[in-house]
Amino acid sequence: MKHWKKLLIVGAAIAGLGQFGAAYAGNDGAMAKAADRSLKGDQVCTECHDENDNKAVLAVYKGKHGVKADGRTPGCQTCHGASEAHVKNGPKKGEVGGKRGAVDVVFGAKSTLSTREQSEVCAGCHKGDKRTHWTASQHDSGDVSCVSCHTNHTHQDKVLKKATQPQVCYTCHKEQRAEGRKMSHHPVAEGKIACSDCHNPHGSAGPKLLKKNTLNETCFTCHAEKRGPFLWEHQAATEDCSNCHTPHGSNISPLLKSRAPFLCTECHDGPHNSKVPVAANAGGTQAGLTAVPSENYTGRGCMNCHSVIHGSNHPAGALLHR
Amino acid sequence: MKTRNEKLQRSALSLAVHGALAAMFAMPLMVMAADDEVSVLTRPTSSVEVGVAGVSEKSAKFGEYNGLNDSGAYGIANFNIGGGSAYDAYDGGNGTLRWEMNGQDLGTTSREFGASVSSQGSWDVRIGYDELRHNLSDTFQTPQVGSMGGNRFTMPATFGTVNAQSNPSTRTLDANQLAAFHTEEVGSTRKNTSLGAGYHFSPQLSIRFDYNHLDQSGAKLIGTGAQGGQATPYGATWRAESNNILMNPTNYKTDSFNLALNWVGDKGHLTAGYYGSIFRDGYDRVTWENAMVSNGTTICASGGSCTYQTNTLSTAPSNSFHQLNLSGGYAFSSATKLVGGLSYGQSEQNVGYINDLMQGGVLPQSSLNGSVISTHANLKLTNRTTKDLLLSAGFKYNERDNRTSSNTYNYLAQNNANYTGVNTPYSNRKAQLELAGDYRIGKKQSLRLAYEHEYIKRWCNNVVGGAECVASPSSDEDKLGLTYRLKAGDNVKLNVGYAYAKRNAEFNHLYKANTGNYAVAATINGGDYAGYLAYPYASRTQNIVKAGLNWQATDRLDFGVSGRYSFDEYEATLGVQDGSSASFNLDATYTYSENASVSAYVSWQNSERDLSAGAAGGVPAPSVTVAPTNIFSNQLKQDGSSIGLNTKHAFLGGKLELLGDLSYSLDKSHYSTQVPYLATCGATGTLTCGDTPDIKAELVAFKLTGSYRIDKHAKVALVYLYQNLTSSDYYYNGYQYGYTPNRVMPTNEQAPNYEVSFLGASYVYSFQ
Repeated sequence: MKHWKKLLIVGAAIAGLGQFGAAYAGNDGAMAKAADRSLKGDQVCTECHDENDNKAVLAVYKGKHGVKADGRTPGCQTCHGASEAHVKNGPKKGEVGGKRGAVDVVFGAKSTLSTREQSEVCAGCHKGDKRTHWTASQHDSGDVSCVSCHTNHTHQDKVLKKATQPQVCYTCHKEQRAEGRKMSHHPVAEGKIACSDCHNPHGSAGPKLLKKNTLNETCFTCHAEKRGPFLWEHQAATEDCSNCHTPHGSNISPLLKSRAPFLCTECHDGPHNSKVPVAANAGGTQAGLTAVPSENYTGRGCMNCHSVIHGSNHPAGALLHR
Repeated sequence: MKTRNEKLQRSALSLAVHGALAAMFAMPLMVMAADDEVSVLTRPTSSVEVGVAGVSEKSAKFGEYNGLNDSGAYGIANFNIGGGSAYDAYDGGNGTLRWEMNGQDLGTTSREFGASVSSQGSWDVRIGYDELRHNLSDTFQTPQVGSMGGNRFTMPATFGTVNAQSNPSTRTLDANQLAAFHTEEVGSTRKNTSLGAGYHFSPQLSIRFDYNHLDQSGAKLIGTGAQGGQATPYGATWRAESNNILMNPTNYKTDSFNLALNWVGDKGHLTAGYYGSIFRDGYDRVTWENAMVSNGTTICASGGSCTYQTNTLSTAPSNSFHQLNLSGGYAFSSATKLVGGLSYGQSEQNVGYINDLMQGGVLPQSSLNGSVISTHANLKLTNRTTKDLLLSAGFKYNERDNRTSSNTYNYLAQNNANYTGVNTPYSNRKAQLELAGDYRIGKKQSLRLAYEHEYIKRWCNNVVGGAECVASPSSDEDKLGLTYRLKAGDNVKLNVGYAYAKRNAEFNHLYKANTGNYAVAATINGGDYAGYLAYPYASRTQNIVKAGLNWQATDRLDFGVSGRYSFDEYEATLGVQDGSSASFNLDATYTYSENASVSAYVSWQNSERDLSAGAAGGVPAPSVTVAPTNIFSNQLKQDGSSIGLNTKHAFLGGKLELLGDLSYSLDKSHYSTQVPYLATCGATGTLTCGDTPDIKAELVAFKLTGSYRIDKHAKVALVYLYQNLTSSDYYYNGYQYGYTPNRVMPTNEQAPNYEVSFLGASYVYSFQ
């Protein structure tokens, strides 16, 4: 039986187990009091913001913020404030066009609070772990609040799903959107990896909000074969993958900043052919060259021979040939 | 016994599946009895989608990551099923359990599947499986015998040897040899299996474990150069550096572990964790046969029975990385916080050496016993004494200390000459100090000023001979950034930023690089021309300007414009002189009704790089700067533009929904070389100056998705996708039969070009 089919069965078993657990938990009367209390608190809001409301406020009960039996779960007013002006100062019965007072804490574009103040409401509960470095991080300083990316009153927050997350990130990161369409790219558009596989948008100790401490450490989480240590190291690769590669997309495969031999000439001007000028002869006969084309410049260029460019463990591989 | 075991297994699996399915589907039926309108809003909707799809044309590039690389029919199978007592909260329920199963693209090799069950605030368990075949080429040809994914490639016995010295136009392969070429569909498949679990001991204390097993198979293409100088059985010698493109196997397995213990208090939080990554390569080498001889007078004839030279290529060595991590934070007050972290990790690699091509078969040690210690520390203090001012001061430290020993390796180079290699295990250390202030000027404006100092040190531990191993042993960089933000009214947001950085790199002209033959390598500038600096290690000035504007013109119409320009200038007589990049993006969205909108975007990107390099015949004398007349220059220019238009519209009261997506992108890369000291560089026999052909890719994509809701549970969906890629790349020229350099075995690989239509029809059943 194929591996994934086995997993499907195990998954079904886990889901089934969850159902039994659900039924059991549903009969747990010990939690009922807390749940009623919390729901009653919400009813101050849900009396009006019900199924007929324009905004699907009730969808909060599809998400983690709606699980009343979890003692940590907030009520509406935990996040939006008591909002007494809004709750008590509504239009009188039969009054047409009357307006309610303002809600204390509104999130998003129409908020009177700064993005930082909005985020602090969330940070009241969501502390530590992946959000350790949030304060004064690139996003925090860039006028980005939690709700700039997250949607709470919904079952599935787009930014938490691999397939839809890039749409959210591309709202601001247009360059990366364009780069993701280039000839060579990571499978982000295909929904196989997400921005958050490499980046921690809540802040990190690494560069460019990368999840790991360094860029190379981040790359090695998937490309462990390039980690080494190798007997013969390539200094540029050892220090920083981005010396040669550009991660979001390139017209030159595989995700290269430039094409060999020109790429190599940016760092080498000594070893044999790196000091030789190259132009249309790199295109060989088809580019108009009448002499025999050279394997030093055509195709992979230097890497026709210096092929184990990330490092070699062959004791006769000092030139990264083997 | 075997039969009985299988029966038992089948029975157990059958019970598990039946039990699970019964449990899964019992709940939705119960839930459906609830009030529909409220239920739709408060309970998750599950869905199952099944259908068929067809792809018009076979293309590895179209199917590079989506599993649709073959023409023909595919099954559409997606599902997302969830439930649990946690969703009963609105109806007064008091459960915390939530479960979910989902599967995506199950009919393709890009399938994935996941399942999770959790009791919110108490525990959670999840499993996942994610498969991805990275299709790399369906035009690659080789005469070699050996399966993709294997590590031995031989030449057909009757292929015959090839005189590598002949001009490719006269070095014709005969019918027998051409018949040996066969097309391989090259790709590498990744299968990720994951397991994760978390447990909350209390609201303050929790533990989380995640495990991932990555199983890779297949191959990626790699170049190889053959060993030269050695005598053939046919009275000639094998040709050095003769190239065969191989299917380098990706027979990899990587196990990754994450274990984290989290504590969260009122004022502080702490996470202690372990990260492990163990990589195993099923092969330590690839062997391949070479058919090319050096100007042989006696060669093995095509059709005869030949013996070929066997060459060896090392593969990625198995290795491991173990890391301990500690991070946390403490709030001294509501205004002042301190966060920080420490990491200590070790990479190890000790795969036995291939004892091949060593002088006298002598190795200084049987394996590397490589060890790299990675240390990291960070600390950040933030203060917000007033509501409008946020100050931060941070420090980061990263060190890669390569403690691998350095030894002398006497080996035979590809030209069969005796070379002396000395490995130089590279170490580096980076320390960064960051100071920043964010100041809000009223409610509408803000200003951020940031300063960063970065210090980098590079070295090698105990290199044989003790010479400096790096060109730039250290560098200091100062960066200054200023950002201004403005909210003009309720509808306009503007941001403008400028950053300046200056890197001063120390340079040691006496450094000695690993240039293969360490004993005779130039001792000035590591074998490079004096005055040449590799761009990552050269002093640099960087200027960056960026700006963005968002304008909500009306409730229905909004615009976004952004741009960025950067210019890097290097202080180097030779090497990269400067580089620039620019981008511009324009987006607009018009929401013309509650369920209908149209949006469009335009993106343009440009980058340029100028390089000067020394050229002269022979090896330059140490300490002699290249004469200015021998300097050539090269420019790289890359342009990319993309436009897109997408729309969604609902008809028939929401029953029919159409989504359209049309996009076009064009990318070009182009090199230009000037060689002022050569009068003949533009001649067709040299072409060492002038322009390369464009590397060009033009993609048109159109996607139309329509769905019609039959009733509240069912809908049918139709997807049509059209993609047309036109690409040209001179990269492939030198690999075509009849056009190869005289030492390259052709692959006939073609630049990707395709015109593919995809049509899919499916039935989606939703339930709660």
